[in-house]
Amino acid sequence: MSAASDQQVVAWAKQGHDAAFRELVRRYERPVFSLLYRMVRNHALAEDLAQETFIKVLNGIKSYRPEFKFSSWIFKIANNAAIDHLRRKSIDTLSLDGAPSAETPEQMRATSLQLGDRAESPLDEVENRELGTAIERAIGRLRPEYRSCILLRHVEGYSYEEIAETLELPLGTVKTYIHRARNELRGYLEDRRD
Amino acid sequence: MTDLTMHLTTEEIELWAQGLLPAARALHLADCSLCRVEGDRERKVILELVQLPHFAPTAGFADRVMAHVKVPTPSDSWKV
Repeated sequence: MSAASDQQVVAWAKQGHDAAFRELVRRYERPVFSLLYRMVRNHALAEDLAQETFIKVLNGIKSYRPEFKFSSWIFKIANNAAIDHLRRKSIDTLSLDGAPSAETPEQMRATSLQLGDRAESPLDEVENRELGTAIERAIGRLRPEYRSCILLRHVEGYSYEEIAETLELPLGTVKTYIHRARNELRGYLEDRRD
Repeated sequence: MTDLTMHLTTEEIELWAQGLLPAARALHLADCSLCRVEGDRERKVILELVQLPHFAPTAGFADRVMAHVKVPTPSDSWKV
């Protein structure tokens, strides 16, 4: 099965072959998890979002249209999950005094940022090691929209056209995002070397 | 025929940095330090990006996913 095309494996999955579902997970768990991890920069959360992505894709496999690349479909769903999470997070963590939705003093306390009260867990150590290099930190400073474009372009090797289709963005926007992202990365990396 | 004095576009610089720019256009770099410097900077960052590794989720990820997936039975697909 590992030599079959994605389209063939999806066809087998649609026929109810459990092994075909597992093959799709095997093929895409690392690329999808890597994209999400670099987007949200938290191992456990990235894994939750990856799991959510695969469950959505595999349970909706009958709606998959074979004229599109399977990888584009799964990356589209993964990226949407990451962007939705980051938008929610930016709303919830804007204030040190608690989430804007907090109405009572108790809710404000419960949702406020507590600086310096958290010990580093083993997973934090993994994150620091994996995402601690200069290039990974520079990627983490990019706007999420730039980040997904640059990762699909240079880590996954997608063409501009494929990225535009995957992220449902105009081709010109994708080119602009990637150009700006690389400029910003160059700036961050050159600052580091100075 | 392309004018050799014409600076490379952003896309051409990316192609050059990846070794994909047609030789006729790449000739411009021999005489243009501006494009060469820009191309070298671009090449460094692209090289760092393409060398990034894939990360793996924790062991048992596929099983955790499959626990929530409803695999259609063959009889379901025959009904289509």
